[in-house]
Amino acid sequence: MGNIISRYFDRLRGSGEAAITLPPMDGALRPNNRIEEAALVASVEAPDNLVSHEGRVLFSSGAGLCALGPDGQVEDLAAASSPISFLASHASGALAMGLEEGRIDIKGGAHNGKSFTALGQTQIMAPSAAVFADADTLLICLASQRNVLANWKHDLMTFGTSGSVWSLDLGSGEARCLAKGLAFPSGIALGAGDALFVSESWRHRVLRLTPDGTVAPVLDELPGYPSRLVRGPGDEIWMCVFAPRTQLIEFVLREKEYRERMIAEIEPEYWIAPSLHYPSSYLEPMQGGGLKQLGELKPWAPSRSIGLVVWLDAEAQPVESLHSRADGRRHGVTSCLADEAGLLIASKGGNAILRAEQ
Amino acid sequence: MSASEAFMRWRYRLIPDHVVGEILSKNWIDNAIPIIFLGVAVAIFSTILPGVMTTGSLAILARVLGEYLFIAMGMTLVLKAGGIDLSVGSNFALCNFGALYLVNALGLPLIVVIPAVLFLGGLVGAVNGFLVGYLRLRAFLTTLVTLILVRAIVELLSLKYSVAASYSTTPVPQWDFLGAADILGVPFSLVVAGVVAVATHILMTRMRFGWHLSAVGGSRRSAFNIGLPVKRIVAQTYIFSGVFTAAGALFYASRLGSTSGTVGVGLEIIILTAAVLGGNSLGGGRGSVAKTVIGTMIVVLVSNALIRMGLRTGASELVLGSIMLGAVAIDVKWMKNRLKVLNKAYVSPTFLSLPPNPETREGSGSVYEVNNKLGDVGVIGKGELDGPEDVILDEDDNLYCGSRHGDVVRFFAPDYTRHEVYAHIGGHPLGMAFNSDQELVVCVGGMGLYKITRDREVVKLSDETNRSLLSVIDDSRMRIADDLDIAPDGRIFFSEATIRYNTSEWMLDAIEARGNGRLICYDPRDGSSRTVLSNLKFPNGICMTDDGESFLFAQTWDCSITRYWYDGPKKGRREKIIPDLPGYPDNINRASDGHFWCGLVGMRSPTFDLALRMPQYRKRMVYRVAADEWMYPNMNFGCLIKFDIDGNILEVLWDREGAKHPSLTSIREHKGKLYLGGLFNDRIGVYDIPGADPTWTGIKHYWGGKKDG
Repeated sequence: MGNIISRYFDRLRGSGEAAITLPPMDGALRPNNRIEEAALVASVEAPDNLVSHEGRVLFSSGAGLCALGPDGQVEDLAAASSPISFLASHASGALAMGLEEGRIDIKGGAHNGKSFTALGQTQIMAPSAAVFADADTLLICLASQRNVLANWKHDLMTFGTSGSVWSLDLGSGEARCLAKGLAFPSGIALGAGDALFVSESWRHRVLRLTPDGTVAPVLDELPGYPSRLVRGPGDEIWMCVFAPRTQLIEFVLREKEYRERMIAEIEPEYWIAPSLHYPSSYLEPMQGGGLKQLGELKPWAPSRSIGLVVWLDAEAQPVESLHSRADGRRHGVTSCLADEAGLLIASKGGNAILRAEQ
Repeated sequence: MSASEAFMRWRYRLIPDHVVGEILSKNWIDNAIPIIFLGVAVAIFSTILPGVMTTGSLAILARVLGEYLFIAMGMTLVLKAGGIDLSVGSNFALCNFGALYLVNALGLPLIVVIPAVLFLGGLVGAVNGFLVGYLRLRAFLTTLVTLILVRAIVELLSLKYSVAASYSTTPVPQWDFLGAADILGVPFSLVVAGVVAVATHILMTRMRFGWHLSAVGGSRRSAFNIGLPVKRIVAQTYIFSGVFTAAGALFYASRLGSTSGTVGVGLEIIILTAAVLGGNSLGGGRGSVAKTVIGTMIVVLVSNALIRMGLRTGASELVLGSIMLGAVAIDVKWMKNRLKVLNKAYVSPTFLSLPPNPETREGSGSVYEVNNKLGDVGVIGKGELDGPEDVILDEDDNLYCGSRHGDVVRFFAPDYTRHEVYAHIGGHPLGMAFNSDQELVVCVGGMGLYKITRDREVVKLSDETNRSLLSVIDDSRMRIADDLDIAPDGRIFFSEATIRYNTSEWMLDAIEARGNGRLICYDPRDGSSRTVLSNLKFPNGICMTDDGESFLFAQTWDCSITRYWYDGPKKGRREKIIPDLPGYPDNINRASDGHFWCGLVGMRSPTFDLALRMPQYRKRMVYRVAADEWMYPNMNFGCLIKFDIDGNILEVLWDREGAKHPSLTSIREHKGKLYLGGLFNDRIGVYDIPGADPTWTGIKHYWGGKKDG
């Protein structure tokens, strides 16, 4: 009873659960232009899933598997039957490849040629990220059991919490569920020791999974939607934040009727929802601060898309960040790869692979 | 349309939500709560106490009211300057005693007594004023101490002289007149109080001293910094308070002739309650005589009613104290939140269902299909301009445009690299046209309709129109005169985009989507301005047709273009020739082939169209979301359309990326070229129209023939 009343007052006053206040981009997340100013390595359509495999840098572009040469030349290696949703590599030569149609293929290594469309009884619907624990074990994120990856905006707007994390024994095909009920897990990385970090996009946080089965948030209340987590050469983790949270989106998430009518009547491309790219059509929504004055869009303008990579320490706490702000074009960073030379960044929304100075 | 949408449409058509914000924005709203309180108090007491509203009862009330009013006005002056005077109660007692002693014991004539008593009161005030004003002691503590000191003096005096002061050996008729006489049925004390109230009102609102009071009370430091003698002003308020208290005491003494020890006890609480209840702020800076009058009436009424209800002395003070506490609490909360509430409550969205958005995608085969014809246009004045909303060219090909700095800027033909400020008007020029004398007529945002003569003299043509009968806000003044055109007989028809927002906040009107705008006609023959059409949804561009009896106008938020007949057999008729544009139309101008150009300042987006059908959603957005994050029509893109008089779209020019000319607000064809202006832009674009008449100019076309003939 008290709950109902307090919820009603929250709705009336915009407090509690109805509040749309956002954590500020400050401290380690303070904006800069480091992604916008990063050197262009290659211009590729929607690059994603940068991974180091047998001494080469591989990435995906839609359904195409490509290799990136040292001078930025792009070599097409193979074409999959549907867009590639993740790549994971192991030193033994194994490459795991997730496909948006709901399949995981293994190439090379001891389990070459194996293919999975289900984990135990669970059909694979939205394989979003994976990492090898050892040569025989693949740790996998399934973002949702209700929406395919291409419909990620639907999943956000309908408060999808059907994501799960699995451990798959490639030899026996036996799968074990490590966590479920997650809101779009889309990044997974092994940290120092036995730590396993998983990013939960719609709850704006990073979870730590331990072998005994506990799941605990280690980094909470992020001002954006985290996606891929990438282990660097040391113990650090690089976290890609593919889009910012904005007050308007948070507000729409609390407006049931408007949200439902928007989903029913409007194409997802034009929703009030996070976006991977700088606005490309006048049919997209515009917010007051985003009005071009004297031909300029201001960097602080409210934006549904940005580019952001965050450096997390071994305890998954942010140390430093690289940004492309509202007026930039290198938005929608979904993947990165740290090596001795610096950081390779794939801006999926900006159609570019970049190298940032360390 | 669904049933709930139909309901929504009628609900927003019938209930004028926007009036709430308009009432809240009025200055008199401060007085509304006390007046309502007074009304309620009168209603309650006249119901439960049948005798309270009889003439006899009112006569006594009126006398008390007269006496209290004096003291309360003094208190108002002190409060307005940020102080407080608690010593009025004992000062009142002292003056009462002094008056009685001078009249009864010494038998002095009134001509001596009145100034002497006023001087006595003023003296106590001066002590307060010296301590608080010049020595800068705390007003509350200081006047509390004077309260005790003066009370002690009164008691010492009354021990010694009270018998002598009580009875007069010889009756003094003039003295009794003071307290007992009526003028036309109104007690003499109330008449004098009324006269003094008017004088004080004039002093506070129309004279230097009153303005100084507001300044000191509003911000003592700022008042000091601009050079006001703050100490003297503060001291003067206490002297005023003392003198006014003495005046009240004179009438009281004459009426009752009492030297009892209880005279004036607790009076300061009653007077403070009256002042604060009326809406005078304890923090200073805000207060008026009218507020004080209302507050005093309430207090006199309530305290009288409490006595009649048979409450004990303590109990009635308890009630008064509680009322004061409530008044102070409301005062503090109201002051703190008023502007906050007003800011949010003022924006009042309404229901608007636009027709389906026409297809514009490339390859769709639609008339509005996207192209990139404006992607590579020439540029004039890049980086030197700020907001050329409209552009126009004269017969010598010189180009004129407005700027946000309040200038009309002239670029010289033929290359338009040199420019000068043609005339400084002071407001943002939004629409321009040449009249038959080659004078530039300009609509200026925030100012009205102006013209610039050929000698560059700026002449005001019109800045007000008739006030409409039922409008809460004053709509006689023009807020955003937007675009104009001139009829062949010289009458100027111009649009005022909205009557609810100023130029700087015009985008807020998009969130409301109500018909807040109007068309006005200025007649140069008698200099009059009349509203022609009202309740239009951001009327913007206006362009005369060639028949001499009708013009076209655009309604921006309605995404439509309408033809209106101002003369001829169809006079007064309206016809929407384009009801469903894919964007928000701005200025309309003539094309060389007899058709019309119109700029679309922004494009419709599906999410905003949906929000327009959900006014409650927009209202909540205004409350919850920070202003910079609100959704608006997408004005980062725009295009140009050419259409004929029947509303057929003939041509569409796009800037696909929205990079060079976002938010196109105006276009002007001149000798085969098209000149593009934009409200938020820093440049003017030039587009070569393929196949256009290279000799055609707007002026020659419109005025040329008529002048020759």
